Amino acid sequence: MSAPTVKRALLPWFSAGLLLGFVQVAAVAVHKPLGVSTQFVTAGTQVLEKVVPSYVEGHPLIAKKKYRVPGYGWWLDIGILLGAFGASVLFRRFKVRKAPVWWEFNRGGGAGKRFAAAFAGGILILFGARLAHGCTSGQFASGWAQLSFSAVPFTIALFGAAMVTAFFIYPRSPHIEGREEP
Amino acid sequence: MTPEMTGLAIGILFGASLVVSGLADPDKIIGTLRLKDLHVLRTIAVFVLTGMVGTWVLHLFGAAHFSIKPAFVVSVLAGGAIMGVGFGLTGYCPGTGLACAAMGRLDALAAVLGMSAGALVFIFLYPAVGAPLQKVWDLGKVTLPEMTGIPYAAWVLGLGGLGSLALWATRKK
Repeated sequence: MSAPTVKRALLPWFSAGLLLGFVQVAAVAVHKPLGVSTQFVTAGTQVLEKVVPSYVEGHPLIAKKKYRVPGYGWWLDIGILLGAFGASVLFRRFKVRKAPVWWEFNRGGGAGKRFAAAFAGGILILFGARLAHGCTSGQFASGWAQLSFSAVPFTIALFGAAMVTAFFIYPRSPHIEGREEP
Repeated sequence: MTPEMTGLAIGILFGASLVVSGLADPDKIIGTLRLKDLHVLRTIAVFVLTGMVGTWVLHLFGAAHFSIKPAFVVSVLAGGAIMGVGFGLTGYCPGTGLACAAMGRLDALAAVLGMSAGALVFIFLYPAVGAPLQKVWDLGKVTLPEMTGIPYAAWVLGLGGLGSLALWATRKK
């Protein structure tokens, strides 16, 4: 078995960042800055609307039209799935995998634990993102793009907590192909 | 184009860009969080700076659609820290989680299911926790230029210039 290796990204950082930046500018030009996490609440609202419509009607947040009627942002999230699937097939990065290299290198190959951690992490990610009124797209990338003051405390809290957590979960570094050294 | 079609088009571009940029890869994300591989840090720096300059240029032509976030500081700090724990644990965020699930990563699918559950938790806790917390130290939808009195152009050119200089000075030779 070969040593676990993290593959390099398809694009170098400069062109990668420029491409993402142009997508952001396109979004700002046509409708509004990028954002992803709100639509998970929209999805939840759709389910609750079927099961307990009266709860939705009386709720201080999800009674609002933006959560009850899927629109621009909803289709943006569907687009992410389609675009990522298409690009990964086109550039041969589509692959059924159970865990990242860092996880297997530090925590072993059992998929069950990784799935449980990913599910629990997902709960924290979305709950936290909505409490902060945005995620890495809406609050961080779009926040800074528009110079929203809220991006400052968000960036400090998000990356601070993420770096401390990653330090404990992933203490040892696998081999990283063509890494950008600090 | 309807807003739905526009959203779909932007989403497809964003999803594809997340893949080719390496952001839709938990290994690259964790590499940056552990300060072992700064590909993602550099990529998001260029992403943010390009978005910032481009948004400003659009604004000069009266063509920018802003959506300034409310700065309820305590809720933003708490939410950012809670999300950060999940982000550091998984290497995913909502956008890259969706993208990675579409690339065949089964653990990303588990994360997306967790996010869906997390949205329900947020909905249920919003009346008792979210709404009151958002009223604590709420500065409103304020921007850095408004808050500091330093003009928008100075912020953009200053951060853009300093950021570019820092990226250039620390590049791999």
